[in-house]
Amino acid sequence: MFDPQRVKLLADRVRPTASSQTRLLPVLSPLAALLPDGGLRRGTAVRCGAGAHGGALSLALALAAGPSAAGAWCAVVGVEDLGALAAAGLGVNLDRLAVIRAASPHWALATGILVDGVDVVIVAPPPRPRPSAVRTLAARARDRGAVLLVVGERGSWAADHELVVEQSNWHGLADGAGRLQARRVTVVASGRGSAVRPVRQELWLPAATGNVVAA
Amino acid sequence: MTVLPRLLIVECPALMAPFPVPALPAAPGRPEEGEGRRLRIFARMVDALAEVCPWIDPVRTGVCTLPIRGPARYFGSEDAVLARVIEIVAAVVAPELALPGGAPAALARLGVAEGLFAATLAARSEAVVAEGGTVAFLAPWPVDVLGEPDLADLLTRLGLSTLGRFAALPAADVLARFGASGGHCHRVARGLEGELPGWRMPGMGRRLVAALGRELALTEHQPGFWGGVSAAEERAAEVFTDLQRRLGPEAVASPVLMGGRGPSDRCHLVPWRPAGAVVEDGSIHHRRAADGRTRPARPVRGTERPVRGTDRPVRGTEPPWPGRLPPPAPARVVACELAECTAAERSPAGRAAVAEVVDDRGAPVAVTARGLLTGRPVRLSVGGAPWEPVAGWSAPWPVEERWWSRGRRRAARLQVLAGDEVARAYLLVVERGRWRVEAVYD
Repeated sequence: MFDPQRVKLLADRVRPTASSQTRLLPVLSPLAALLPDGGLRRGTAVRCGAGAHGGALSLALALAAGPSAAGAWCAVVGVEDLGALAAAGLGVNLDRLAVIRAASPHWALATGILVDGVDVVIVAPPPRPRPSAVRTLAARARDRGAVLLVVGERGSWAADHELVVEQSNWHGLADGAGRLQARRVTVVASGRGSAVRPVRQELWLPAATGNVVAA
Repeated sequence: MTVLPRLLIVECPALMAPFPVPALPAAPGRPEEGEGRRLRIFARMVDALAEVCPWIDPVRTGVCTLPIRGPARYFGSEDAVLARVIEIVAAVVAPELALPGGAPAALARLGVAEGLFAATLAARSEAVVAEGGTVAFLAPWPVDVLGEPDLADLLTRLGLSTLGRFAALPAADVLARFGASGGHCHRVARGLEGELPGWRMPGMGRRLVAALGRELALTEHQPGFWGGVSAAEERAAEVFTDLQRRLGPEAVASPVLMGGRGPSDRCHLVPWRPAGAVVEDGSIHHRRAADGRTRPARPVRGTERPVRGTDRPVRGTEPPWPGRLPPPAPARVVACELAECTAAERSPAGRAAVAEVVDDRGAPVAVTARGLLTGRPVRLSVGGAPWEPVAGWSAPWPVEERWWSRGRRRAARLQVLAGDEVARAYLLVVERGRWRVEAVYD
């Protein structure tokens, strides 16, 4: 039907060009220590996790803020209740953010299409995604040079790096007085290859101004 | 009744490749010939047709459709759209094929009908099918236009030689006798379904972008470098358009910030649309390529409103909103509106957001008319989940909206930390004694 050589040529054409060819996407400075290369390497998947106290989505948004500020496109799949105000506060450029509202069976289809043209895809898969879908998406992201930020619990995704919010303390709220002002978290990073030794980082996520600051 | 979109189909016989495309032997020294060249001319044609309508759907090389309702309203009539389309196709294609420009009829066949299948037949006879007349239009066509030789053969031997006769069969009998694919053909014949499988060349959108990419490189125009739409923007636009085509226009949304008190008032999701226009503060803004900023299409009251692009909520530059929730903002916002508190309880998402707050004696906590809690919140349950101990709570924020009108609403917001060992932060809202999770600080 098609000449495979020609198809490959076409595939090369639609691949990221020039400026986006750089393999490392910058992240905000408080997060750089958590990643082995000091940034998000294209084609990798990073799982953002948290316990019952939450914080995984904020962490993923904070990770996407660096590339977004540098001009990358971001998309969010499987988080229909995204608080865009919080995303903007953490530094994500809303002009280059798309929120995908697909029915949950379509999450893998949507993610697979997105990695073709979007640099950073934040995806919250269903609790137990099919391993075959995970493998396909990981391979596709690697091929297209997109970064997958997976918001999910342990075991949901065999990611290259894992960043987990281990402790979380809200400040500013007392019994019937005050308001939520800032959250101090401990993020523990672990991963394969050059990142076997876990790294800890204390962060304000978010700080009182809504952004992310090293504690 | 019929919900198929009314489509204008443009077929360019000179560009139409036989499908599936046979592998062409590359002519020495002439790599431009054949499929690649046809594809590039077609890509430029589609690009030019975007002037009429941005939702052009390339079906296969040389064939594309566009919804005609909107353009017809804009140009005044369907005839005006057809005339404009012929002009555009002639301008792009005639010079390339060295055909006389004065005979545009040979360049393109146009047809208008509901659904891709009927539109394709309309193009064959160059017909404009009247609105709602698609079923009647399909009826006299022979059954072999369905492209299922076995089915057509059998139907003809049964004496059902036209689509109209086939359509008159009861649907259940057709399904029982001819199976799922026969049933699909039957639905197409009855005008309930728009297209048959296999009529589209897969991956057409991406092939066109690839073709245009080469085209742009040849004309020494590097978008992005000279301040136009960058390659990254185009790639993103391509995948978003693709997603919208597959999952519906609502599937891809852009967040837009606006004024308001609660988190769900302050952020709205609008369907994503291609570069050129963005919706902001409820009005259309046109993007100016020169500086990448947007300008309001018509004056917006309160021009000190932040302009998109620099619209990070900066304190001091926005008009004050008494009762506005202070930062930091919650990362998850349950989208149902405050007003739909009771209606929302009927949907699964709404039920998951229903909360209960009780004091140490198990009595529900409420907010008094003076904005005070009737008791100390001790336990919280969200969406019917087990009770969680409350670790901290704020003073209630009274919300009083439209107190001057009959649509007045009184509610109160409360920030609550709750959880068994580690606390999760919630933003709750209570209205008429009912609690609901409005946002989660994830």
